[in-house]
Amino acid sequence: MSDLLFLVEVSLAGLGAGGLYALTGVAFVVIYKATRVVNLAIGELLMFGAYLFFGFSVGLALPTWQAILLALVGGGILGAVIERSVIRPMLGESAISVFMVTIGLGSILVGLVEVIWSPDPRRLPEFMPNAPIFIGDAYLSPKVGYGFLVAAAVIAAFLLVFRFWRGGVALRATATDQAAAYSVGINVPAVFSLAWVVGCVAATGAGILVGAIGGISSTMGVFGLSVLVVVIVGGLDSILGALLGGLLIGLLEALAGSYLGGEYKLLVTFGLLVAILMVRPYGLFGTTEIERL
Amino acid sequence: MLVTRRTMLGLAMAAGAAMVAAPPAVAADDIVIGGSIPMTGVFAFAGVGIHAGIGDYVKIVNDAGGIKGRKIKYVYEDTGYKVDASVAAFQKLTSQEKPNFYYGDSTGFSKTINPELERNGNILMAGASFASELNDPQKYPYQFMAGPDYTAMFGVLLRYIQKTQPGAKVAFVHSDTEFGRDPIKPSTALAASLGLKVVETIVTPPGSVDVSTEVLKLRRADPDFTIFHGYVLAPIPEFITQARQMNMKSRFMGTFWSMDHSMVMKLGDVGEGFMGVMPYRYYYDTDPKAPMLAKIRQMRPEYQSTAYMQGFVTAMLFVEAAKRCVESGKELNGKNLKGCLNGIKDFDTGGLFGVPITVSGNSIPVGRVYRADMKAKTMVPVSDWIKAE
Repeated sequence: MSDLLFLVEVSLAGLGAGGLYALTGVAFVVIYKATRVVNLAIGELLMFGAYLFFGFSVGLALPTWQAILLALVGGGILGAVIERSVIRPMLGESAISVFMVTIGLGSILVGLVEVIWSPDPRRLPEFMPNAPIFIGDAYLSPKVGYGFLVAAAVIAAFLLVFRFWRGGVALRATATDQAAAYSVGINVPAVFSLAWVVGCVAATGAGILVGAIGGISSTMGVFGLSVLVVVIVGGLDSILGALLGGLLIGLLEALAGSYLGGEYKLLVTFGLLVAILMVRPYGLFGTTEIERL
Repeated sequence: MLVTRRTMLGLAMAAGAAMVAAPPAVAADDIVIGGSIPMTGVFAFAGVGIHAGIGDYVKIVNDAGGIKGRKIKYVYEDTGYKVDASVAAFQKLTSQEKPNFYYGDSTGFSKTINPELERNGNILMAGASFASELNDPQKYPYQFMAGPDYTAMFGVLLRYIQKTQPGAKVAFVHSDTEFGRDPIKPSTALAASLGLKVVETIVTPPGSVDVSTEVLKLRRADPDFTIFHGYVLAPIPEFITQARQMNMKSRFMGTFWSMDHSMVMKLGDVGEGFMGVMPYRYYYDTDPKAPMLAKIRQMRPEYQSTAYMQGFVTAMLFVEAAKRCVESGKELNGKNLKGCLNGIKDFDTGGLFGVPITVSGNSIPVGRVYRADMKAKTMVPVSDWIKAE
């Protein structure tokens, strides 16, 4: 097999995985953009979403599409509940307090999953087409390929929604200037809720895709760690940044993994993180305003 | 009533005296097994089984009257599979219960606590780790493992490969953890000495989800056998699925912690033919030479994991060492208990190990290769019991 083909295959696999990073990154960015909350529980929200899907599809034996729909709705409700009961009372507190609350939230979600579903690792039912994809001669794992397509479609939808939908505009307005948003009649608390609902739905979707590829366990939240790199590189409040950051990190990890060895994957990504932070502390596409935590 | 400083002081002293005078939780001649058990966290699936296994064997011994009338007491703390929590549990249990034996939950803990074990001198320890490093009686005099170390597990697999396909190409896939790296170097050397070619060694970062790039690398190397190590389940299923899609001919193998029946069955269709090494018989093995399994099935009619067997066998070896020391009138301390343990020769574990065992050093280097039969939903033995040394 030629080296070029290998490079193409590795790059495709990397971009595919990057799509999943991007989708999770979007979930993070939506929440941060609207509410300025650095949500470290993003990985655990993703995990919880995957378990919701597992619960509906395996536990209650519902058809896959119903299970996906219910899981997304469940994820949204979870987001609303978290925002209303945990995050809103923290309004006005220092950023570091809210940040710590989200860490606690992550632990609670892990505990909940272990209590409800036990800590055993599990596999999700197969619901994506299983025939391998060949682009030219290059092989692409079907799950990664379809996962990428779904992620791309969702992110495109997000970009459009923020551009044209009233709710999206309200969210951007709130993100830009809370006081001004209040004064033009935008219901800011509702926007906060909306951001959490949307963020959690996106995280649930990402969780189902990630779980379909790698299986689920109560520790799959570590996926959030790579996503944190993605959003910091892309800029905490930029959806486009999350998208490009995701693809970049996915590609970089794949190349580092195949040419340097798996032990260099994290080294390379975090090396990039440090480099970017030194040159552009607000990320590639973030607003030039530095939040100190 | 006016409480003066003096009465407060008096009350406090009285309370303190009451605490000191409180009867100890352990009857003087109980033999105590302490445990840092991961009942929660990433290793909980194993911890729950280990806990049940130790508990069941202790119950069997106590129901039969204990050791010369001395009861066995098993006390444990949950650690969440974190070394600091394990150490805290150890400190707490050693100060409160004075254990004679201890079950540790990880390689990290076993290494961390070793100096303390040597200083304490009263405890013999075993645990969930089969790390090759711990298999050194000079460095770890008060520890042992109830099975082969990871290198010996690879030894069993590589010897099997050499027998079935001499000169085969082998690839190792391991996680980038202490657990994952453990057997790789010595096993690469062993493979070479057996005339096998190690064509690729792939490392995956812990928690990595997508393994597409790694599978691509594996396809390039085109091995006849691929051995996974350092995983429980993920990413093994995805690895095998993608490899099958690319029409790779490699057969896939695992080591102890990825060989539990319930884990292998989770592989689904792609798990057909998955092989691996196991030092114990599986729960459903009805071989007449394994009466202990019949007893376990009687106590627990539902499937018990290989982690359960590991806890059970460990407790059995603890008790056997204690029994030998008590019978020969030796004091129960770390040195004597280890001596009594090493005195175990051709010992029948009720068939849990397929052959009589001898604990000469810190490990019991024996195992058998099993293959998954997905239609029958069982693990089928495909080799004899192989000694790796």
